Amino acid sequence: MGNLTPSDNSIGVFTTDASLVIQIWDGALARLTGIPADAACGKLLVALLPNLEESRLLARFQRVLDEGTVEVLAPAFHHYLIPCPTLAPSKRFDRMQQRVTIAPLREDERVVGALVTIEDVTARIERERDLSEQLAHADEDTRLGAARTLAEDESLEPAPPLLGALEDESWRVRRVAVEGLARRAAPEAIAALLASVRENHHHLGLLNSALQVLAMSDVDTLSPLVEFLHDKDADLRMQAALALGEQRDERAIPALLGALDDADTNVRYHAIEALGKLRAVEAAAALACVAETRDFFLAFPALDALTRIGDASVAPRIVPLLEDELLREAAADALGHLGDEETIAPLAALLNTPNAPTQAVATALAALHDRYAKLFGEGAYIADLSRNAINPTGAQNLLDALNESSHADLRPLALVVGWLEGAAVERALTRLLGHGDARGETVEALVRHGSRVTDLLIEQLGSEDLEIRKSAVVALGRIGDARAAPALIKVLEDDTELIIVAANALAQIGDPRAFEALLALVGEPSAAVRQAVTGALNSLGSPEMPGRVLPLLNDPDANVRESAVKIAGYFGYAECTDLLLERCVDEDERVRRAAIEHLPYLEDERVTAALVHALRHETPKVRAAAAGALAQAEGPEVSTYLLEALADEDSWVRYFAARSLGWQMFAEGADALARLAQADKSNHVRIAAIEALGYIGGESAARFVAPLVKSDEPDLVRAAIAALGRISHPDAQTPLFEALRSTDAEVRAEVVVALGERVGAEALEQLRRVAATDAEPRVFAAACDALKRLGTPEAIAGLVSLTADAIRRETVVAALAQTKEALLEEVARGLLPRQPVEVRRAVVEALGRMKSQRASELLRRALDDADASVRASARGYRRSAFGRRPEDYS
Amino acid sequence: MGFNTGNLGVTGGADRLLRDLVHERTGLFFDNGKGDLLTDKLSPLVIERGFTSLLDYYYLLKYDETARDEWLNVMDALSVPETYFWREMDQIRALVEVVVPRWFAAHDAGPLKIWSAACATGEEPLTIALALAEAGWLGRVPIEIHASDASTSAVERARRGIYRERSFRNLPPTLRAKYFTQVGATQTWRIDDRLHTAIKWMVVNLMNEAEVAPLVTANIIFCRNVFIYFSDQTISRTVRSFAAHIRPPGYLFVAASESLLRLSADFDLQEIGDAFVYVKRPDAD
Repeated sequence: MGNLTPSDNSIGVFTTDASLVIQIWDGALARLTGIPADAACGKLLVALLPNLEESRLLARFQRVLDEGTVEVLAPAFHHYLIPCPTLAPSKRFDRMQQRVTIAPLREDERVVGALVTIEDVTARIERERDLSEQLAHADEDTRLGAARTLAEDESLEPAPPLLGALEDESWRVRRVAVEGLARRAAPEAIAALLASVRENHHHLGLLNSALQVLAMSDVDTLSPLVEFLHDKDADLRMQAALALGEQRDERAIPALLGALDDADTNVRYHAIEALGKLRAVEAAAALACVAETRDFFLAFPALDALTRIGDASVAPRIVPLLEDELLREAAADALGHLGDEETIAPLAALLNTPNAPTQAVATALAALHDRYAKLFGEGAYIADLSRNAINPTGAQNLLDALNESSHADLRPLALVVGWLEGAAVERALTRLLGHGDARGETVEALVRHGSRVTDLLIEQLGSEDLEIRKSAVVALGRIGDARAAPALIKVLEDDTELIIVAANALAQIGDPRAFEALLALVGEPSAAVRQAVTGALNSLGSPEMPGRVLPLLNDPDANVRESAVKIAGYFGYAECTDLLLERCVDEDERVRRAAIEHLPYLEDERVTAALVHALRHETPKVRAAAAGALAQAEGPEVSTYLLEALADEDSWVRYFAARSLGWQMFAEGADALARLAQADKSNHVRIAAIEALGYIGGESAARFVAPLVKSDEPDLVRAAIAALGRISHPDAQTPLFEALRSTDAEVRAEVVVALGERVGAEALEQLRRVAATDAEPRVFAAACDALKRLGTPEAIAGLVSLTADAIRRETVVAALAQTKEALLEEVARGLLPRQPVEVRRAVVEALGRMKSQRASELLRRALDDADASVRASARGYRRSAFGRRPEDYS
Repeated sequence: MGFNTGNLGVTGGADRLLRDLVHERTGLFFDNGKGDLLTDKLSPLVIERGFTSLLDYYYLLKYDETARDEWLNVMDALSVPETYFWREMDQIRALVEVVVPRWFAAHDAGPLKIWSAACATGEEPLTIALALAEAGWLGRVPIEIHASDASTSAVERARRGIYRERSFRNLPPTLRAKYFTQVGATQTWRIDDRLHTAIKWMVVNLMNEAEVAPLVTANIIFCRNVFIYFSDQTISRTVRSFAAHIRPPGYLFVAASESLLRLSADFDLQEIGDAFVYVKRPDAD
């Protein structure tokens, strides 16, 4: 490495023949050494450099000629090959310091001579020595500055001085040294560091820094570290186990498994931790054995490691540890991550005892719930089982814990309490509305309790805390109990900060008593409030509405007229048609805009003419509304007017006109849209035009849009990719494939989504390639998702084969778990004996997550698998059929 | 929990685009768990503007000629006005009892410039002014106090200098009586003019270098309870900008919960009085 980037004139070159007679002596070398070419060429090297043999360098030349190796003469040891003065005055050196490389000169396969480069490194070494001296300075800032320079200056060789700085008393200096070495040190420096670890592992500062370098380094340090695991010194073995855990190299697993039998407890401790960090599935059984010893020092890290590894098959072995006074909390935590529904009974049994570790059990049950909800959509099943298993003592423990819990711990308690029933539980839940950390869970739980908690929630509407009142309104709306309507109407009238949520809640309840109160608010100054109120009134759909809204269309208050227009337009009341058309020429711009937006809902022959009139003669905002509304209008003239609007001076008119043309798929508009897409001065207009071209489709649309994939503006690129995805013409495909090579992961992800819209072997092949090779998780996740959506046998087969890749496995399994019923056979091919065991295990997992009787049947095939872990996993999933009856299956 | 989003079409990843744009322009980061909160806060603006989708609003903020005005509305909608007098006083005591005396012992001339970079409705800079007045510094030595916030409406309220009860939850009653006057029969109080006029108020977005430039050359910067809303990347960028321009010795006060140690090597954390204060490293230029 060395990262040396010398200028050309600091390196000279000469060549010799096989007898070491100098053949070429270049100008740079003549300048560096002061020896002209004619004085060197034709001479024997030993004649020019008489000390060659004495300094044993001749043997190095001979080795190059005999064995074809490359020899490097490091300036630190040899200083120079050709003795000559320094080019510039030096405070340390009389002779130029040289870095020399001797390489074989070949013809065909024969070595016919040597090619020697001489690099003047005097200045560099001088600088490094200066910095080395500064590293020994008493002042921390001086040392830190020197370390930074060595770490960052690419022209310097950082390793030797920075290795020394690893022992610096200042952590800042050590940190810079660690980072510098990890980033820039050569393999030989790492080797020196390893040797240093062996000799100095009792020096804690050096050791920690050195291990950080090793952990961050790209250099393969596995073999020496594994060797250290067998050293006679227990401290070194311990540190080696620690470092192997940090390096995340799976090849260390067998050696670390062996270290579980080490005579020294500390070594075993660190080996356990390392196996956990490496997520070593093959260590699960051995670690379960360690946990079962209940050894105070080792059982905790073993449980922690098992949690990290995530092998559910060991869960039954952890259950007995719930009876151990010391280990029960750690065991509960592990079971939360590893257990299944069978774990609930023992966890609940523990919770049902006096002095139970309530927080730990609640956290475990919540973790189980969350995992089942995420993987299987079956969180409610865990809640049901828990509710049946928790007795009154357990419930009381939970309620007591709620009062003592800190905010950070509240969420699992709130979740589990929410599964229970009874007056005390309901009161506790309403109190929890005051805690922001658990508010989401609490609202969900209260909604599940339904109308039983209506009165309690109504009480909360009087709370001083706005957030409590707001949550209570939301919960009441979702429960939908009409008894809450009067209280919510009062909120609507009295609580200005809650009008929007109260209107939404009343809309959900649908009680006609809310009608008058809502109608009274249609003139509110806030547009957001008016929007919520009109939305609620539209939801109520009162039979009185046509008669009540009619006069409001002529109300003196513009806000009222605007709301009335939105209501009358939404329902398309025939008796309001004339007034709605009149409102298109209202004195207030917002009323006119609302009327124009709602005209397409009317069945009246005057509509299109009114829209066109507005498009041509109105203010920019109303013209924009008309351009948008014309998307829904009918008639041959509509497209003509929209085309005309593409030239409007206002960008939003052009924007909505372009979108409407796309909506109408007006093919004759492609040229005009292409001009807009390429050159409109407003980017949002260009984007709308690109989108429209995507909907119009065809060869010309593809041609217009393709170049925009290379735009500098990400929004244009995104729109172009999406449009090309929609265009079925083959010409749209090539630019998408090219964009898959983008260095921008965002672009690749967009292309993958677009390709997912296409059918055909080429798109499928590209998606499989991306899913298999793209390093960016969101890109390969998007590719997996696209393959799943394509849902062809080939796409599913591609996903199955990808489960062999450990990095992609979870993503692929998640996609496979959503496979359509008709393709389950294709998924099950992954269970065939010829498939790797990782694939078979992953397919069991995917089938196990599905709510399908057919998937459950297919899982049966894995019960006879040759591999025990596949069989165990299949048994687990078949057992955990979530208590479903056949009719529950889709 | 989303309260307003049901009324608005949230499609095509517009919420993510908007989240990233808001992050880029304001520094405020609404991560995946807070996406609904951002949509809730911006929905009224989208409706007010007459749009029916967040995507249209995103284009407005990014490309429209009137976007500059609309961003002021966005900053108002996203501002967090929750603050009060006499908050996290250990730092202000450290300022008044250690930093200010130390500075005037070393400098004969020239004003000491203090910048409250996220002043919200003004409680923080007024607390600084009040503490300096109590210690006898204000008016006796040249001290400039600048206060800014990205929210126009918050700065407007600060300029009015009238406060409600909840701003006084931590202020000793004697100081309230000494420096505030009740406004008529209302439950509001006006700050003493001598303190109020000691502060120069302005609207500044910390992400806008041009706006920040005249202020960042202060000797002391208070930027408290802002970084909790910023992403790591934005914090690093902001602190880098502070480090590049702050005048030596360069004191940066952030809230106790906002550690910069992981994000910046330009400032050292020092214990001054009973408070932790970041001090610019001598070699951080």
